[in-house]
Amino acid sequence: MKNRGIGVHGSSRRPAVRPAIACIVAGALSLLGPWWSGIASAESAGCPDAIRVGLVFPMTGREGRPGTYQVEGIRLAMDLINARGGVNVKECGKRLPFKEILYDDQSDQGRSVQLVERTMSSDNVVAVLGAYATVLGQAQSVMADRYQVPWITPGAGTSTIFTQGRKWIFGVLAPVELLGYTTMKFLGSLVDQGKFEKGLKIAIAVENTDHGKEYVAGVNRWIKEHPGAFKVVYNESFQLGGADFSGILQRIKTANADIFLSDAHLQDYIAMQRQYTQMGLRHRMVSYGARGPEEPARKALGPAADYIFAGIWWHKDLPYPQVKAFVQEYAKKYHREPDSWYAATAYDGVRALAAAIESAGSLNRTSIRNALRKVRLTDSLLPGKVLDFEENGQVMAPFVIVQNKPGGKVDFVYPEDSRTGEAVTRIPR
Amino acid sequence: MGLDDLLNLFVAAILLAGIYTTMSIGMTVIYGVMKMVNLAHAGFMMLGAYFALEMSERLHIDPLVSSVLAVPVFFLLGVATHRSMVRFVPVADEPTLPSLLLLFGLWLVLQNVGYGVWGADDRSIFSALTMATFQFKGIVVPVIRLIVFGIALLSLVALHLFLHHTWFGRSVRALTQNREAGQLAGIDTGRTAMLTFGLGIAFTGLAGALLANLYSFTPEFGSSFMLRSFVITVLGGLESFSGVAIGAVIVALIETFSILVVPASYQHAISFILLVVALLVLPGGIEGLLQRWRRLG
Repeated sequence: MKNRGIGVHGSSRRPAVRPAIACIVAGALSLLGPWWSGIASAESAGCPDAIRVGLVFPMTGREGRPGTYQVEGIRLAMDLINARGGVNVKECGKRLPFKEILYDDQSDQGRSVQLVERTMSSDNVVAVLGAYATVLGQAQSVMADRYQVPWITPGAGTSTIFTQGRKWIFGVLAPVELLGYTTMKFLGSLVDQGKFEKGLKIAIAVENTDHGKEYVAGVNRWIKEHPGAFKVVYNESFQLGGADFSGILQRIKTANADIFLSDAHLQDYIAMQRQYTQMGLRHRMVSYGARGPEEPARKALGPAADYIFAGIWWHKDLPYPQVKAFVQEYAKKYHREPDSWYAATAYDGVRALAAAIESAGSLNRTSIRNALRKVRLTDSLLPGKVLDFEENGQVMAPFVIVQNKPGGKVDFVYPEDSRTGEAVTRIPR
Repeated sequence: MGLDDLLNLFVAAILLAGIYTTMSIGMTVIYGVMKMVNLAHAGFMMLGAYFALEMSERLHIDPLVSSVLAVPVFFLLGVATHRSMVRFVPVADEPTLPSLLLLFGLWLVLQNVGYGVWGADDRSIFSALTMATFQFKGIVVPVIRLIVFGIALLSLVALHLFLHHTWFGRSVRALTQNREAGQLAGIDTGRTAMLTFGLGIAFTGLAGALLANLYSFTPEFGSSFMLRSFVITVLGGLESFSGVAIGAVIVALIETFSILVVPASYQHAISFILLVVALLVLPGGIEGLLQRWRRLG
């Protein structure tokens, strides 16, 4: 027993010290915490061969199509940057190509969170791009501050994501509140031009979601700033996925408004506009928020979709040279033109990240996050051509207003500098 | 709101009730005989919608004619589903966990098949009748909704005749009322269950194809309608076809007219409040209430 005791003390002196040192080192590391993990991720590999970026998007399931379009936009941007030799990382003294680590969240909120957590914690990525749709964006955004990895969403625009005081999240979509505000700015410009008289009545019916509420907040903000310009005579919200809108439409009919504004998902837009037309409702102008020119809607509604106006984040016919170049490159790679705005915002998200890495001169996540806050793309695809992030991480790029015209045509009607056609201010009967 | 507006709402509610009845009857038929809650209901409705679309786009068959064609096609699909899966679930007098899990799993499979075959894009059917309306003394009637209502009504009449004037129909009614007594009377319960499942799926497919004429759809189509079908089926008394029709009218009227007193965003909640009320106050549903009245009378 004695020998064993001496033996233990004698022979284990150094092994006993080792765990103690290990404990101290581990404790120090845990105290250094996120700072260390940020440095470690980049420096443990020295200067890696590529800049690893996590992508978590819905490639299948309900949001599979727009999610796939967003990944296409990201891949196009990465390919073009890589073809030019990659991103100049000063601390490495060389240009590094992008490398994607792609996950499909199958349009499932729970899976989306798991995959973002996985890529942020295990894939040694410098940033994560993710989330098409508000619910997936809300779920993913929580992880960015926890793991202190810059997270950029090109597909979630609800400002509730960006009002939680999070420091590591960035959004390429302008807030929905701005959509409502811009819609009213457009209508206000028609008053200024004498196409509308002052005091016209507005009926509002929006989906009962954050999206709908923010839209109404934007409308109300503008109306408050411009007293007397318009008057809201009906304001109601409806449940998503409604089978029948006859009740709410009848109320709108009796409100006797001049303009009808809604904010709805595509299925509800189609169902509501069908019933609106069947019930013989008439307004001088009609809008469904960001919905209007989508191909499935025009197919489902036929002439009933004509003259509907919409505020959109991007359109392939924006008269900017960079948009033209993007559409050409996209068509070259995917053999079709971009459908809606999905690919464009994702493309700009990658370009903003590349600019931030070059500006930071480092693959350190904190440096990249700080650089993203200051990044300013002056050749952005977005309306207004400038992409920069506000204090809360979201862009405030303006919306453009488009109006459907007969024969499947779509005209830009606002703002003036991107106008391709006159706004029709009284829908022909 | 004037009288015309209220009448317009009433007509809209009655037309909606026709749609609700068609989509609920399939669930009732299956529950009545097999005591299974068809959780794959939405999946078959979705297939019905795509069936009408494919017939319209590929074979240029009128979508309303396609809806009628859906009946035999989905009957065979229902029979095949029963033969390959449902018949292995043990028979019971009330819904069992295996049957719920099997049919829920089947719904998920059908949904994913839908995504695989048609993708996630919104699809729709647009025909010359889609936007057509006619006016009658200030009441606007959408032609497509009226036709869908007519087909729904005809199918219910056909079902009624079928259940009351054929041997198989009598077997279905007998098993709905008392399975053991039916067996003692010599009814082939296995065969009747198979054909009943086919009949229920035929109605579900018909409902999906009819709804495709009114709404746009994706592979997730049908889930909100399925929840309403639950409410209507429970309200109707679970096993009663006339109860389902009355339940559908009640739900449609309440949903449509509730907008006058409560915000539209509570429209779905109203259906579920009705469900709770039905379960607490009318456990036998409308059919139970009617029976009680008949007895008192």
